[in-house]
Order: sequence, then structure tokens, then C-alpha cells
Amino acid sequence: MRRLSATLSAVSLFATAAALHAAPPALTQAQHDAAHAMFEHVINTPTVIGRHRVPEMAQFVADQFKAAGFPAEDVQVMPYHTESATTGGDDTAALIVRWRAAGKPAAKPILLMGHMDVVEAKREDSTTDPFVMTERDGYYYGRGTIDMKDGIVGITQAMINLKAAGFKPKRDIVVLFTGDEETNGIGAKNGASQWLDLLGHPEFGLNADGGGGGFNADGTPAGFTMQTAEKTYAGFTLTVRNRGGHSSKPRKDNAIYSLAHALDKIEAYRFTPMMSETSRAYFAGREKLEKGPLGDAMRRWLANPNDGEAADSIEASESEVGLTRTRCVPTRLFGGHADNALPQLATAMINCRIFPGVDPNAIKAELERVVADPEVVVTRNDDYVASLASPLRPDVTAAYTRAVQALHPGMPVFPEMSTGASDARPFRVAGIPVYGTNGGWVVTPIDNRAHGKDERLPVKSLYDNVVHWELMLRDLAGK
Amino acid sequence: MKRVFAVILAAAVSSAALAATDPRTVPSQLPAAWQTKTRELFKQAIEIPTVHNRGEVPRMAKLLADQFRAAGIPDSDIHVMPYEALPGDQTAALIVRWRSPHATKKPMLVLGHMDVVEAKREDWKYDPFVFREEEGYFLGRGTSDMKNGDVATTMAAVKLMSEGFKPDRDIIFFYSGDEETRGVGATLGSTKWRNLTDAEFGLNADGGGASYDRNFRPLGFGISMAEKTFQTYFFTTHNRGGHSSRPRPDNAIYDLADALEKLRTHRFQPMQNEITRGYFEERSRQEGNSALGQAMRAWLANPNDGAAADAIEANPLEVGLTRTRCVATMLKGGHADNALPQMAQATVNCRIFPGVQPKDVQAELQTMVGPNVEVAADPLYIGLPTPASPPRPDVMNAVKAAAARFHGPEMHVFPVMSTGASDGSFFRAQGIPVYDVDGSWGISPDDERAHGLDERLPVRAMYDDVLHWEMIFKALAG
Repeated sequence: MRRLSATLSAVSLFATAAALHAAPPALTQAQHDAAHAMFEHVINTPTVIGRHRVPEMAQFVADQFKAAGFPAEDVQVMPYHTESATTGGDDTAALIVRWRAAGKPAAKPILLMGHMDVVEAKREDSTTDPFVMTERDGYYYGRGTIDMKDGIVGITQAMINLKAAGFKPKRDIVVLFTGDEETNGIGAKNGASQWLDLLGHPEFGLNADGGGGGFNADGTPAGFTMQTAEKTYAGFTLTVRNRGGHSSKPRKDNAIYSLAHALDKIEAYRFTPMMSETSRAYFAGREKLEKGPLGDAMRRWLANPNDGEAADSIEASESEVGLTRTRCVPTRLFGGHADNALPQLATAMINCRIFPGVDPNAIKAELERVVADPEVVVTRNDDYVASLASPLRPDVTAAYTRAVQALHPGMPVFPEMSTGASDARPFRVAGIPVYGTNGGWVVTPIDNRAHGKDERLPVKSLYDNVVHWELMLRDLAGK
Repeated sequence: MKRVFAVILAAAVSSAALAATDPRTVPSQLPAAWQTKTRELFKQAIEIPTVHNRGEVPRMAKLLADQFRAAGIPDSDIHVMPYEALPGDQTAALIVRWRSPHATKKPMLVLGHMDVVEAKREDWKYDPFVFREEEGYFLGRGTSDMKNGDVATTMAAVKLMSEGFKPDRDIIFFYSGDEETRGVGATLGSTKWRNLTDAEFGLNADGGGASYDRNFRPLGFGISMAEKTFQTYFFTTHNRGGHSSRPRPDNAIYDLADALEKLRTHRFQPMQNEITRGYFEERSRQEGNSALGQAMRAWLANPNDGAAADAIEANPLEVGLTRTRCVATMLKGGHADNALPQMAQATVNCRIFPGVQPKDVQAELQTMVGPNVEVAADPLYIGLPTPASPPRPDVMNAVKAAAARFHGPEMHVFPVMSTGASDGSFFRAQGIPVYDVDGSWGISPDDERAHGLDERLPVRAMYDDVLHWEMIFKALAG
């Protein structure tokens, strides 16, 4: 769900390797045209929940693989149902493709991940029809252009190109494209459990719904990120009940005032700062660029992880919010039943993004301590378990860095903990590390339009991403 | 609108030593056959869910109209008046004229309302629209606000007609269908339908009443002769919103919570008027040397003694009587669980001291919350301050006689200012003085559940209220 494009200042964390200025591989005109046609077709298929179009898109992508010579028995459309009280339901589908190693596999499979569904986009909220791909001013416009049908096309066209070029993987490459990442994540949950045999119990996953990079508006590189961790999404409800009464006779006990008081406490509260391998590497890179007070705070915190004041000033920066700890924020309010009656019920929805590895049940207990009012009852809205960080793997880090820098010489690369959530969570929880390693890029911040109005992708990014995935797969499955 | 069940006066200190009887255990004087009829009508009335927008008020109007018709009122004197209240809410008023064969005085108007406040099944122990009787109480939405008054006034008239009583003035019954929401019925009743309702004065069954404390000592019978002005305001905050994974210090919900915290502690300027001064003079005598009594005397001696007024206001029995009060009653905000809110809104209900203009209260609230919160009056209901009704000895004497019969001499009868607002305000505004004189009663504060959960009324209070209204009709129209 909820992919956020990186908005990073530049500094190279990983080997700023003496840039390889060898020309990257280029697409043939036929490959370029095929990628364009595939992208246009999938953007024009409105795979929003409730519109029943994901199975059609899954079949279309499956047909591309089969036409390129992938055996039909290794290309499977998996229909499934997704539903929840807040999203409604849909009959959706996942696509699983297995490209088997030639001969005895050298290692367990690599999983390539993406999702085919998109967030709703309304015609009246968009400049042009969001489900008719439009090219103008050097951009492809349409819902899903960056979240994340560019990644679906990038992986698919890269595998087709590699097969045509005679590439023989030394380990299985397995594709899982899900159909409900933006809503309920049932596809990823199935993938990390009942479909694991089909997927060949992969050693690790590469998720096209994460990573990627950007350029600043002046053309300078803003950096690429590799997503190694994501915060756990968890919803909580604060509920206050009261006997109510007549509003002409106000009392001190009042459900709305108790709730407002609890919200005041949550507003003032800061969870304990936490640092992980990923965020330490991230801040170690960031501080080199930051000469001012923000950089000083990063340096102090890196030197002393118990320096809460330093962590607080980092967290207060709009560019770093959410990266130093668990954050919770109220997003919805409900209360009362008549304008002339004291409220009998008042509730607030609290949306938390929990630091990787922390149990949402512990956050519930912490919220209860913060609120410190027995009248305010804290309950969970979901049963998500703690998301885990994936340990940095030198092979993946190196392959990603090489691919990025082959296309964008000198481009800095950072590890990243995303504050949003994605399909990676159930795999990480199941012990399969996942890395967000897409190669798409945008101009930041003006192109950060995932979930928003007039979503768009620079035209060149689509084709760069195909090359990016070819480089990644040659590197990680060709040796 | 929005009646408070009982207006309360504290125990007469002199009676504290007496062993008091639980008034709920005293048998009603209403004959058994009339108890049965009353109970049946009350059950039917409670089980019609006359909440706004449910379209059920016309059925209730027909139920009451049928009682009058069966008792002998001709169809030409029974008017069911359909009208729209809140936008789309199709409701009705009932106007019945019980004619005097030899009228010697101008007509008398009896007021009530048939609608009730929303009650949700999941909030209540039992279905609020299934009539129940248990442990000496009738339970259900409307048992105290105010289908009890509808039933008592109707049954009293039906009973008197069956006994051959002929009033010496016309008695006009006016039951509205949107007192709890907009008061359109009372507005029409006091203006456009005035040819059907014009009267020398009105008696409102949506107010008045006696109460006892938990030790069953009589607290008094208040006749409301003035009421605070009802006005709802909306506190609204706006924000550009964003993704909830990246919270910012600026947040529409936090801004609203801050405003609510200010509202919680804000106190308006204490005020007095003729009726409340009379009330507190009587109360201070009752209270004697208690801290509350001393505060009342101090405030009466010096109306600028804000500390004394605050001490009075803080007493649960006196809430709302010393000043304008506002309280948050509803909340809404946000549009998705995973998005920062773009809007948050609280409904703030105010009861404004008579004579104070709602726009001045709005200005004070706006100053209190500051520029980040928008304060706006509910455009569907703009309150109009109304004058107090002048004291009427005939009404006072009729109520005193009834109170003495059902509660004994210890139950003092006083004029009071009501903190709620009712249909009476519309008639007062149009020159018909109104007095709230219903005879229901309860144990304070346990039975004060109007608009709240598990609303209830002592069984005996329902039955005796029929006799109470019979006495009132005889005294003022006989």
C-alpha cells in the first residue's frame, strides 16, 4: 500500500565506486515499442478494487510471457477474493511466473514482486482520463504510472528481453504480481503462506513497489533508495462512553472532552527513538550533506543513540518525519448522536506507523499508558503483526548500486526504511528478506503523485527501468 | 426543545429529620380502569419511534386524535397539520379544540410535542422503542420527554369528558412534531395557524414537574416561566491533509482538540434576572447555612461576586442557572484511516441567558478559540431571545393545589428559569405567555435521563399526572 517516492538529498552511502562510464545496454526499437504497448494496455485497464479488472490484466501479462516462450505450465493466473469492511470486496487475481534455472539451480529462487491493482482515481479529479494513458511534455500520465505498473512492465519486458537474448538463469526467477496490495494484501499473505511451494521458497525478494530514485528540478541527482524495511501499519480506536444526558445541563464528565484530552496527550507524546541497521546507514549518509543544525542533530544521535533530544530535532524536520521512531496520528473522529444531547459515545481512529520489529500490541499498551484514563478504551482495528527489517545483503546492495549507476553515473544510493507499507511485510515476517529495488525515477518533489492527482512518469524512466531490471537479473541470477 | 426533566430545588432542611417514604411505592390515586387505559395509550405512543426523518410522527398524531374523537370531539375540531421540519423531514402537528358550551373566558392552550430525540439500540440496555415496565418504572425513549405529558393531557381530557365536565373556556391542545429539532411546528402554531391556537395563555406539558432526592425528600416543583435561548454552533478546522505516515504539527484534529479543551474550561459571565433572583432567594432560605446557601446569599448581595456564582454553578443541582453554558455534543472529522484529516468539526450546543444575543456568544467563542478554528451558528436554527412570562396567580394556585395533593405540603412550588428550550419560547415570542406545569416527577438525579440512555419515568408519576392535569383543567377552565 501507499508507496512514497523517496525525497532525498544526495550523498552516496554505498561505494561511490569509480563510476563505470561504460554505456548501459540499450533497448532495440522493437523492445521499446513492446514496452510502450504493454504499458499503455495495462494503464488503460482500471484495476481499482470493485471494478473486477485485475484478472483481465493478469491474463494479459501472462499472455506476454507465454508469447515470449515461457512454458504455459510455469505461467499461472491465480484468482482469489479480497474483501474488508472498509474497502469492499472484489474478485481479483495474482500472476505467478517461474523461470526455471537451466540445470541444477545454484541457489534458492529469487522472487520478483509487484502489484497490478491501483488506487481509485476519479475522472472529475484528474486533468485527463486517468485510465487513458496520455503522453505529453515528456511524461506518461495515468493512474498506476508510478504506483506501480511501470514496475510490472519493467520486470516483464526485462525477462522477455533476457529470454530472447538467450540468457539462462543459474537459479529460478519467480514472479509474483498481486491484485490487492492497495487494499487488503491478501495476495501477498497467500504468497507468503499457501503459495510458497509454487514460488519455490525463495531466498529473498526484489520488490518493484519500492526503491527507485529521483532528480531535483534543477537536474541534479537526488539519490536512489533501496527499501530494506518498512514500518508496520496498524490502526487503533479510542472509545469513550458516557451516560450522556441533556445538553442544557453540562457535566464535568463528557465523552468528547475526555477524548479531546486523550488526543492532546497523544499530540504531545513522542515514542522512544529507535535506530536500526537501515536507519543508521541512512543517517550516516545524510549527515554528510547536512552542515546545519539538522546535520548536527544527526551526528549527535549517531554518536549517542540515547540522545533523545537529538532524535527529536531530527524527527521535527519535515524531510525526516517518521524515520526516528513509531508515529501515531489521529485521522478520524466520530461522536455524539444529537446536537442537544451530551454525547454517549466518542471515538477517534489513530493511525500508527510502527518501527520495524515492534509488536503492535506493545504500541496498544503504550497508547493506554499515554492516555492514562480508564474512561478511554484503546482497541486494535486490524491484526497485522510486526514488520521486520531485512538485513542488508552485500550481493543485492552491490547489484542495485551497479544497475543504478550504470544508468545514472555518480548517482548516490541509500538504504531506506519506508514509512508506508507494502506486500513485502508478510514475506519479511515469514523469514524471506525483501528489498525494494525498482529502477524507475521521477523529478522530486513535483512528480510525487502516487495516490494523488495526475499521477505521471517521465517517459524515459519507463525504458530505463526495463534496462535496470535486466542488469539486476543478469547480476543476481546469471553468476 | 430539549426539556430537562425536573427543575430542582434542594431539600427543606427542616424536614431532613423525618423518615421519608419512597414516593414510587405510594399507590396512585388514578382508578384502575383509567390506569389500564393510560398504560395502553402510553405503550402505543412509546412504540412509535417519532425520531426526525423516520416519518412516524403522523401516526402518533393519529393515535392522539383518535382518543379525542372517541371521547366526542367532532372531526371539525381535530386538525392534523402536515409540515416539513428539517429538510426532508415530513412531520405533523395535531391541533384539537375542546369547545366550551358557554365560554366566559379566552381560550387556554395546552402544549406538547410528539417527536423524540434519537435513541440507538446499541447504546441502550433494551430496545428504546419497546415499552417496558420494571421495578416501578416505565422505560423507553419518550417516557419522560415527553410522551408522558402527551398521554397525561389527552387522558385527563378524555376522562373529564367521560364524566360530563364542560369547560368554561375553550381548551386547545397543540402537539408539535419537531420540537427536538427545528421548532417549525411551534413557529407555525404561534403565527400561521394562530386562528386555531390563539389563547390567553399556554400551559406546557414539556416542563415543570416535581422531584425528590435519593432520600425521598421533596426538592420542589418548578414552574418554568422563562427559558434560555437554544443555539448550536459548529467549530470547524481545516488542513491541507496528507499521508498519515508523515504526521505534521499542523493537524485539523489536534486544532479542534485544543479548541475543545478551551471550551471545557471557559466560563461565561454570571448573570441574574428577576426570575432567577426570586429562585435563588427561595433556595438560599432552604439551604440555610450550607456553603451553597452562603454562596447564593453572597451572589444576591453582590451580583459581581463571580466566585460565588461559580460555586453555585458548580453544584449539579444548579448547573446552567447562573449564566450562558455551552457544551460539545458531536464530533466528526477525517476521511480515511490512512490520511491526515482535511477537516474536523465539533457541534457545540449553547443555552444562552435570556436577553443575550446569540451573535455575541458566537463572538466570544471565536475569541476564545482563536483564528485557526471557524465558529459558525447552525444555519438551520437561529435562536431568538424570548421574554419571561408574567406571574399568574391562578396558574400558581392551581399547581400548588395539585402538588399538595400528590406530594404533600413539603413540596414547594416556585417559578423558575428553564435551562432547556421548548415550544413555549415561540409562543412567548408571539405574545402568548406560557407556563410549564406538567405534573410528572422523578428521583433526582437518577431519573434525569431525557435525551440520554435508558430514559424512564416512575409508574406512579405517569398515572398521577393524569389526575394532575384533570385538576389543572378544572381549576383554570371550570
